[in-house]
Amino acid sequence: MFASVEDVQQRFRAARYIASRRISTVVYLAARMGRPVLIEGPAGVGKTELAKTLADITSRALIRLQCYEGLDEGKALYEWKYAKQLLYTQLLRERIGELIADAPSLPEAVARIAGQEDAFFSHRFLSPRPLLQAIEADTPVVLLVDEIDKAEPEFEAFLLEVLSDFQVSVPELGTIRARHIPLVVLTSNNARELSDGLKRRCLHLFIDFPAPAEELQIIRLKVPEIPEQLARAVVAAVQKIRAMDLRKPPSVSESLDWARSLVILNAQTLDAALVESTLTMLVKYEKDLERVRGALDKVLAD
Amino acid sequence: MDQRILEFIGDLRRAELRISPSEALDALAASAEVGLDDRDTFRTALASTLVKEARDRATFDRLFDLYFLDLQALGEGLRKALGPEDPRVQEQLDRLMADEDLQLDELTELLLRGQGAEMEMAIRSGGRQAGLERLMYFLQVGYFSRRISDRLDLSAIEADIERLLRMLEAQGLDPGQLARIRNYMELRLEAFRRMIRQHVERELERRAWRQGEKLQREALSDKPLFALTADEVGQMKTVVARLARRIKDALALRQRQEQRGRLDTRRTIRKSLQYDGIPMEVFLRRRHRDKPKLITVCDVSDSVRNASRFMLQLVWSLQECFSRVRSFVFVSEIAEVTQAFNTYPVERAIEWALKAAPVDYHCRSDFGYAFSQFVRNELDTLDRRTTILMLGDARNNYNDPQAWALRMMRERVKGIIWLNPEGQWGWGVGDSVMPMYAPACDLVKECRTIGQLGEVVDNLVHHWWRRGR
Repeated sequence: MFASVEDVQQRFRAARYIASRRISTVVYLAARMGRPVLIEGPAGVGKTELAKTLADITSRALIRLQCYEGLDEGKALYEWKYAKQLLYTQLLRERIGELIADAPSLPEAVARIAGQEDAFFSHRFLSPRPLLQAIEADTPVVLLVDEIDKAEPEFEAFLLEVLSDFQVSVPELGTIRARHIPLVVLTSNNARELSDGLKRRCLHLFIDFPAPAEELQIIRLKVPEIPEQLARAVVAAVQKIRAMDLRKPPSVSESLDWARSLVILNAQTLDAALVESTLTMLVKYEKDLERVRGALDKVLAD
Repeated sequence: MDQRILEFIGDLRRAELRISPSEALDALAASAEVGLDDRDTFRTALASTLVKEARDRATFDRLFDLYFLDLQALGEGLRKALGPEDPRVQEQLDRLMADEDLQLDELTELLLRGQGAEMEMAIRSGGRQAGLERLMYFLQVGYFSRRISDRLDLSAIEADIERLLRMLEAQGLDPGQLARIRNYMELRLEAFRRMIRQHVERELERRAWRQGEKLQREALSDKPLFALTADEVGQMKTVVARLARRIKDALALRQRQEQRGRLDTRRTIRKSLQYDGIPMEVFLRRRHRDKPKLITVCDVSDSVRNASRFMLQLVWSLQECFSRVRSFVFVSEIAEVTQAFNTYPVERAIEWALKAAPVDYHCRSDFGYAFSQFVRNELDTLDRRTTILMLGDARNNYNDPQAWALRMMRERVKGIIWLNPEGQWGWGVGDSVMPMYAPACDLVKECRTIGQLGEVVDNLVHHWWRRGR
């Protein structure tokens, strides 16, 4: 899939995603070793984006499972459509009657119905959910399990089982084995500690806020119309704001939004009034806003 | 190389990283995939398979640096130590030696011509022979450096070099050039000696890494709170933060309740419609568990100052974890500090609570008065979902304990938990009125050390809130 770590890096780059050497290495390893990647890090550093881009550059379909409290197997794996099955049986009652009408004995009738079992226990009555879709897919896919920390520990254990064998057993149909091992990406915002088992199973990747040089690259790539000087000023200011002890430090996506809005405002350089009026793009909590406003001169100082 | 990686994993384990055998195998596989050419890639391969907690990353990085030397940097360092003369003199030396077809000892050869990596390998094997694994204390560094030098027979090498120089002199090499060569060789020898010493020092650090820190942490968690120095208070902060985190982890998600209890007729009938009205699946009503409400009441009088610091730290962290926490502090008057704790960062909040909260700090602690005042003002806000966490030594300065107030509070709430920073032997002695308050509490715990605080927190998480009370 990938020839080398450099290859990963370049292809991400071509898809307009700046992947650091560290990220590229882990992605490369995951692809080679067939292991899931668990990505942790603060919100808005591009964890989900990484999975999307990965699907993009490997031209695989992306199957996304968004986790939330109360997510269960029925919503993640498959659901059996009892109603449909029942309806079919009802509608076909006459045909079934015909089938066994001339059966000489009860055992014979049962045997005849049993012969038709496949019609009643088939994929037709199975509605596959993301996990089963990923396993059953005809072509290899990228499976994104987003915000796994939001799901319950029990679900995590269940997921672990799926991820270690890439097979699931559906009582009505038997065991379904994956045709292709999907590339699995799990993301977590660290709302709680994940279980050791899951961590053991995965390659671990921690994505932090990017270094200034990297962030500058990202801004240039995503907001190409930004003047060079302004891009530098934006990065410097964002990095300084992040260093402050805020409730929610500005993420990469927010600094991109900010850069875009500055471009729309036709700014060439940053000054206090401009930052003041656009600060809400960057900092989202009232208390944080106050703190940043109070330290504006420091933020803008070179 | 695999052997080396496994040794490294052993070191990580000694540094308290939990690494399972399957992860170790993964690390070997991953390193085989990326190879050793690029040190950073190799590092990432090991890190992604071995380090699963962000907080362990620093330890990993430090140990990695100690274990897998940056050979490129080593070469740089050597070049720098040898000065700009290096390539020219080296060339001259090579030519002379080739002309003369000199037979030199292998080590001398290495010393004269070797690159950083080769020299390091020689030192490493010398270290093994010298029994470097017995290295334990800093004082032994000199001893082991000498031992390795002896193993490598540096004196013989010096003699060799001397011989070489004499020979060159006999050939009629001009004195200026000779001096340059001599100088260069001395530099190399010196650099080699330094490398040996650095090797030993690194080895020591590798061994001692974290062990010291661990010992310190253990000692700290057994030390009474009142006896901690300012420095130690700072160090303990992370420990308390971890405790709060543990509470949060345990409670962050409502655990899936067991299906138990009475029949949920509505859901059962709704589901039965799918099956022609036959109740194929039976649903039972889940017992609803309330999100805990917490009220903390903390004594901030002078006598328990250090202990209060921790308690306040815990209070602050709790407040960050839960949405429904109200915090109070008192000396004799009682005041709510929830607002301030929400606003200020932890340091400032604690300082503020210890000095500037709206209570009179100059009087002596009076639990009875504080409780009666609390009952007067706040009784109506208490309900069966509330847990009250009392933090104080119950030394009432012979004031009226007014235990009735505490009993009244108990009647309203789910429970009262009292953490006392004083040893159990002191309860009831002198002005301590703990025995009078204890009957109104569901749980009274001695909480003198951070270790005990940890136990209490575990206890709360696993029994108090879990039980669904």
